[in-house]
Amino acid sequence: MPSRRSFLAGLTSASLTPTLSWADVGNPIALSAALRPDGQHVLVGLTAQGDITFQIPLPARGHAAAAHPHVTEAVAIARRPGSFAKVIDCAQGDVIQTLHAPTGRHFYGHGAFSADGTLLFTPENDMATGQGVIGIWDRSVGYRRLDEFMSGGIGPHEILRLPNGSFAVANGGIRTHPSTGRDKLNLDTMRSNLAVFDANGTMIDMAEVPSATHQNSLRHISAATDGTLVCGFQWQGDPFDAPPLVAFYSGNGTLRPAQMNENDLRQLDGYIGSVSAYGTHFAASSPRGGKTLTFDQAGEQTNVLKVTDVCGLCATASKTCLMTDGLGHVHSLSGTGLTRLANHNLAFDNHLVGLPS
Amino acid sequence: MRLALILPLLAVPAFADVNRTLEHHILPGHITLGAATAELASIAKADCTPDAVRPAFHTAYDAWIGLSHIHFGPLEDQALTLAMSFWPDPKDRTGKALTRLTAIADPIVDQMDAFNDVSAAAQGFTALERLLYDAQPDADYACRLTQAIAIGLASKSKTIVDDWPAFADLMRTAGEEGNTRFQSDIEAQRVLYTSLSTGLKFLHDQRLGRPLGTFDRPRPRRAEARRSVRSLRHIQLSLAALEDLATTMTDIDLTKTRAAFADARKRAKALDDPALQGVADPAQRFRVEVLQQTVRAIQIAVIEEIGNPLGITGGFNALDGD
Repeated sequence: MPSRRSFLAGLTSASLTPTLSWADVGNPIALSAALRPDGQHVLVGLTAQGDITFQIPLPARGHAAAAHPHVTEAVAIARRPGSFAKVIDCAQGDVIQTLHAPTGRHFYGHGAFSADGTLLFTPENDMATGQGVIGIWDRSVGYRRLDEFMSGGIGPHEILRLPNGSFAVANGGIRTHPSTGRDKLNLDTMRSNLAVFDANGTMIDMAEVPSATHQNSLRHISAATDGTLVCGFQWQGDPFDAPPLVAFYSGNGTLRPAQMNENDLRQLDGYIGSVSAYGTHFAASSPRGGKTLTFDQAGEQTNVLKVTDVCGLCATASKTCLMTDGLGHVHSLSGTGLTRLANHNLAFDNHLVGLPS
Repeated sequence: MRLALILPLLAVPAFADVNRTLEHHILPGHITLGAATAELASIAKADCTPDAVRPAFHTAYDAWIGLSHIHFGPLEDQALTLAMSFWPDPKDRTGKALTRLTAIADPIVDQMDAFNDVSAAAQGFTALERLLYDAQPDADYACRLTQAIAIGLASKSKTIVDDWPAFADLMRTAGEEGNTRFQSDIEAQRVLYTSLSTGLKFLHDQRLGRPLGTFDRPRPRRAEARRSVRSLRHIQLSLAALEDLATTMTDIDLTKTRAAFADARKRAKALDDPALQGVADPAQRFRVEVLQQTVRAIQIAVIEEIGNPLGITGGFNALDGD
């Protein structure tokens, strides 16, 4: 029998934070930011069939979100150089809290929860030094800023919790400062890397891009169940001279470039928007090329699929890959084959964020 | 039933005429390409010396540049884009591939099936131009290589031309039951519009932007087809082809678009710099920059007069960049 005090405390927190699981809100398997035709930005939940389970207004354009591993809570993080993040109860449809980046910092649009859901990690820019930082927020005390650690590079973009509970960070290598918008300030010297941290924020490995292709900016990562990471790059040099824009990581400080078809590579404008590991396959989307490429475990390209304004990718429990585009379509990739699942009257934004099944 | 057919049209503010673009722009352009490359192959077979082949090279290259904005369809499906023409080529892959073949006088040039597997950079118009306009260390081998490229261009063009009518049917039957390639009218319209907008972007950023470089560092050697002195001609052919595409694909009032094309045409004609080598000269460079600005004006007019009325906007994700 709980005491009166603990009962009241439970009641208070229940009114503020979600207690329902993702299964209770229609079993969405992924979250996506989207734009409605009336100009309203929203966060939506998508099922494996491509149906929308909920639609929650956002105050501005989102980028990606961090999904809580257990309860229906998501943190929609402003696209760079935004400095706010909205904590959303996806069951109630309410913004329950707004996080502000500390003074002198801005977010990069991505974040990740710890495996137990108690901590939120956010890639940030320390604007004064240009160094990348990972902010740590304690959810149990109203997302208080708890601590931070160095991201291991400049321009940390996506952070991903790995199956073993450690974290990978894609340090894009590009220095920007809000005073000059999205201008890239260090293209001559940039060098991107993938940094891997244990659950305490201690770096356990780092893989840099080769110096010959130092302008290849790592932005997005996705992990297979065996821990292999697929990496998606954005090339800052001549788009007709782009090196492979996809690489794989299996530890030992090494990035293994994919073998990409040259005809296709030249049509991507040097730009991969999202990557996904699904089953034994990997996918990389290029919204500018209107193409999604698939790869096998040896890193060899296995197919190219034409999908206008494609971007969001996310693995499903049945080892297929859910894929969204800016025209409102939801597609399914099974192996190297494509099926269109649904068509919604909205534009899906950059990323699909997988939810726990 | 009639009403049901008419109503959806009334609900749409503007529509694109996909069939007219197919009939008057894409299909005839491919017939021309097929004939011109067949003629090129037949001439090269009879006499493969540069003097003999050059006129047919120009005619065939003209036909290709007039179609080079049509990236979708059989060309894309057969992944032949680069094998038709390898440009831009910042690492001189064409030069390297030809040097490799020539250095050992690789007999692969005498086996057409195998020649299709050599580097794409050695297969297309860009490679043929080198053979016809650069001094060749081994005239006999250059001659055989010229024949191989010419015959290859003809056979590649033939497969593309042969496949176009079936692809055109897919575009005409967009949205019909069983058509998985084009699942709605707007999807067929969108590929035409994308060809127009990316063709204009390629003209602005690559055909003009690449040789222009920056004021402090102009790059005249990056002009497309400068060896055969065709750089400006490619710009003029692209302008004509893109204007043809714009004006066949829609009945919308294109006053601004037509005026912008006319302005660009006039400035290109007045340039008097066929290989764009004047980009390194401040006075002449200015006129190339103005031409590039007129292409920008076309891009803006096309968005306003065609893209917006058709409800086709630039990609939400493609334009974002993050």
